[in-house]
Amino acid sequence: MPLLSGILLCPVGALVLVLLIPARAVRSIRWVCAVSALVAGVLSVQLWRTYDTVVGGFQFVEIIPWVEEVGISYHLAVDGFSTILVMLTSIVFFTGVLTMWDLEIRVKEFFAFMLLLVTGVYGVFLSQDLFFFFLFYEIAVVPMYPLILIWGSGNREYAAMKLVLFLLAGSALLFPALLAIYHASGLGTFNMILLAQKAFDPDFQIFVYPFVFLGFGVLAGLFPFHGWSPTGHVAAPSAVSMLHAGVLMKLGAYGILAVGIRLLPVGAVYWAPTFATLAAIGVVYGAFVAIRQTDFKFVIGFSSVSHMGIVVLGLNLAVLGKAGQDALNGAVFQMFAHGIMTALLFSTVGFIYDRAHSKTIGDFGGLGSQMPRAVSVFIVAGLCGAGVPGLASFWAELLVFLAALKTYPALGVAIIVGLVLTAIYVIRVFSQAFFGPVNDKWDDLRGLDLQGWQILPRAILVAVLVFFGFFPSVLLDVIDGTTATVLTAF
Amino acid sequence: MHDVALFLPETVCLLGALVLFFAQVFGARYGVVWGLALLSGVAAVVASVWTWPLAGEPFFPGIYRVDFFTQFVKTLIAGGFLFVAAINGQPRTVRSDAWAEMPMFLLLATTGMMMLTSAMELVTLYISMELAAYPIYIAVALHRNRDVGGEGSTKYMLQGMVASAITLYGLSFLFGLAGSTYLAAISSQLGTLATQPLFWLAVLLVMAGFLFKLAAFPFHFWAPDTYQTAPHEVVTFVATASKVAAIAVLCRIAALVAPAGLDAAMASRVLMWMSVAAMTLGNLAALRQGDLKRLLGYSAVAHAGYVLIGIQTMTGAGLTAALFYAMGYAAMSALCFLVVVEVGRDEDLVTIESLSGLHQRAPLLAATLLIGLFGLIGLPPTVGFIGKWFLFSAAIEQGQFVFVLVAAINSAVALYYYLLVIRQAYFAEGHNDEPIQTGVVTLAVAGGTTGLVVAMGVVPGWFWARSVEAVAALMGGAPG
Repeated sequence: MPLLSGILLCPVGALVLVLLIPARAVRSIRWVCAVSALVAGVLSVQLWRTYDTVVGGFQFVEIIPWVEEVGISYHLAVDGFSTILVMLTSIVFFTGVLTMWDLEIRVKEFFAFMLLLVTGVYGVFLSQDLFFFFLFYEIAVVPMYPLILIWGSGNREYAAMKLVLFLLAGSALLFPALLAIYHASGLGTFNMILLAQKAFDPDFQIFVYPFVFLGFGVLAGLFPFHGWSPTGHVAAPSAVSMLHAGVLMKLGAYGILAVGIRLLPVGAVYWAPTFATLAAIGVVYGAFVAIRQTDFKFVIGFSSVSHMGIVVLGLNLAVLGKAGQDALNGAVFQMFAHGIMTALLFSTVGFIYDRAHSKTIGDFGGLGSQMPRAVSVFIVAGLCGAGVPGLASFWAELLVFLAALKTYPALGVAIIVGLVLTAIYVIRVFSQAFFGPVNDKWDDLRGLDLQGWQILPRAILVAVLVFFGFFPSVLLDVIDGTTATVLTAF
Repeated sequence: MHDVALFLPETVCLLGALVLFFAQVFGARYGVVWGLALLSGVAAVVASVWTWPLAGEPFFPGIYRVDFFTQFVKTLIAGGFLFVAAINGQPRTVRSDAWAEMPMFLLLATTGMMMLTSAMELVTLYISMELAAYPIYIAVALHRNRDVGGEGSTKYMLQGMVASAITLYGLSFLFGLAGSTYLAAISSQLGTLATQPLFWLAVLLVMAGFLFKLAAFPFHFWAPDTYQTAPHEVVTFVATASKVAAIAVLCRIAALVAPAGLDAAMASRVLMWMSVAAMTLGNLAALRQGDLKRLLGYSAVAHAGYVLIGIQTMTGAGLTAALFYAMGYAAMSALCFLVVVEVGRDEDLVTIESLSGLHQRAPLLAATLLIGLFGLIGLPPTVGFIGKWFLFSAAIEQGQFVFVLVAAINSAVALYYYLLVIRQAYFAEGHNDEPIQTGVVTLAVAGGTTGLVVAMGVVPGWFWARSVEAVAALMGGAPG
């Protein structure tokens, strides 16, 4: 079995099994998911280990013609970027399944939709065929609707509908753009590697690039099209928020990179100042709004808008040439770090909410003494968001910041302002909810802290954050070569 | 003998209708009628598939053509009839004194539609069209509750007649201009005809009758009412087989005039605007519907718009995409109507409300509906996604970027009302939690069609290759 198809087959195979298992066999369903996630994780580690950074470029290529008449083929391959994003997906997938272990309501359907979502995410990161890329992209988006609607909380109907409408409106922009790329190339193939070698007419690139950028940008939480994201996060159940903020939003950024920047370099350069500005506004705006939130999940939701702004900013700075290497490395690093970080945040907030049935920050006080383990995990993730050294985000944010200073100092200031605001809202949450006078109302939570295997998913995520905080080069080595290849076009 | 073989699918359908006629005269039980209908459906599909490799002009050279295109379309139409017959194990919303007639009328309409796809001469075309239409006019009116069925059936018939009159008017122009009723003769004079505006007017007028069947703007007014109030089974047929036949004839007309190249631009443009109007109007109107069948009616209007995207390109790629989409669309809407038939067993009108709690009452039906609606939305892994991909691709190839953008935004708008239906089936708790008992045959058909919708979406290669082959026969088949 080829490695990449093997990874893709994990959620697909598990999906088929889950559909065949009767709905009352809840334990079997959970175990099937956990095992498939574990196998996918092992294969992803194997992929990371065997991806040859010296050679670089696309590796593990698998091509099977699919619809030959129009040049669609089942075409999987990974470069440095997709290698680490596949790893990210596997980590979030596995920890997500563990986070939802206690789910009791309509378990079979939940895991079926979740597996469908994960299939889509893997598919996007692995596909090098524009058709399959878009197909998997849509597959990843759609399960969000039932997942939020059925298992969500709060204003879930509104949130679910808003999310899907926003994202499919983004797809509506992508549809004509991707087909226009195909027809303009004249190559009669959807092979993205071949399309990337084609120099498209500059006017065409400048015309089409905004459609690609904005279409994917919606999913990346780009300001001002981010409205779906915080409401969606808040209403979704924990594992769905984890996948949504941790992985799904990365699909948007990855799409900009893999389709926009790779295939349409001239367009990317032309539009970069405009879109970099939008992204920088998002960095500051998201952090600013997060300060005023009273709901844990809204804080995290808006922090995601802010942090994804750094990713998109990095992508735009990368094409402007002055410090491209740093900017792109930083952006991709941030995708990874932010994915792990938000997964950890949502996993923990979900845990606290399940016990306390409240996620209003003001309700709590001194929770640190009542649920020390859950709170310490949350604090690690929060500090990571604030860019504290020793945690993974530090390096990512530093790289983008340096690149911004060299390219547009004003945008570098935006990042700093964003980080200061982040520190403010993070510390505000800590001081109001976790420290300070103990609120007796929650004393019965004392016995309900993270225990036994519940620690496992959070521990994995913390370990990853700390590991890459101290050894960023393990990750940078993998992506550096790919970054250099991508930037040769600029 | 060869001619008989070429005419086999039509013969099978006619014989089936005849047998059903006698069954009804002798007062056969419904079970017998159902068995006969099912048998006719299977025989029609088998006969159509068996004639795939054949080609020729049986009985009347130049008037009636059999090639891969016609036989492929006939297979789809026969498949549509078989589907309707199969899910009809117990008669539901049809009047009890017309149980036996209903399959007979549908089978006659099937015959008409089959002839329609093969007709190569104007009078034959018109007669086939009426043969396909009249039985449905009657069947639509067979609702068990006269008060419910009256308006929809009247609208359907009146508007159908008007559209058919417009077609006839267009045919008279064509005959006047070309001096012949043979499509081959018209095609060979295309060079001189194409420069005359009247010719293009005639072509568009001829299309009217088929745009009516397709429920395309501005011939769509019947669709919501008829969908809502006609017997569920009959609407299923109108929404599947009838659409395929209409698309096939529109493809035939488009292929006929396609060689005119730039001269066809005006007609193309008109169809494009019709398409924009149909999908925008259909989708916007569907947003506010509470009745499921009415909603599907407006969705059919919108889908007529999508199909026209392919037809208005007047290229091989566009027509192939239209045919492929016709195939997928028939299967997707068949799935939705299967659920309508099952849920609406005791109800004359099926509202979205009545789907409440469906995931508990009938998980398999809920899943069927989910796949069907995913298809109509255009989501992978169903055929709806790749079907739209092909249609949009054909239009982009003609440089119609903005047009495709409008169509894509339309699909995003449509998402809203389809999701509300899914929400009701999967999320809302119903007052009625009595399980829906579904027959084995219906379940098998549901499973098979769901498989088809997914298979066409995941491994479209074979289906696409057949569509390419069919359209090649269609385009190459136009002599001259």
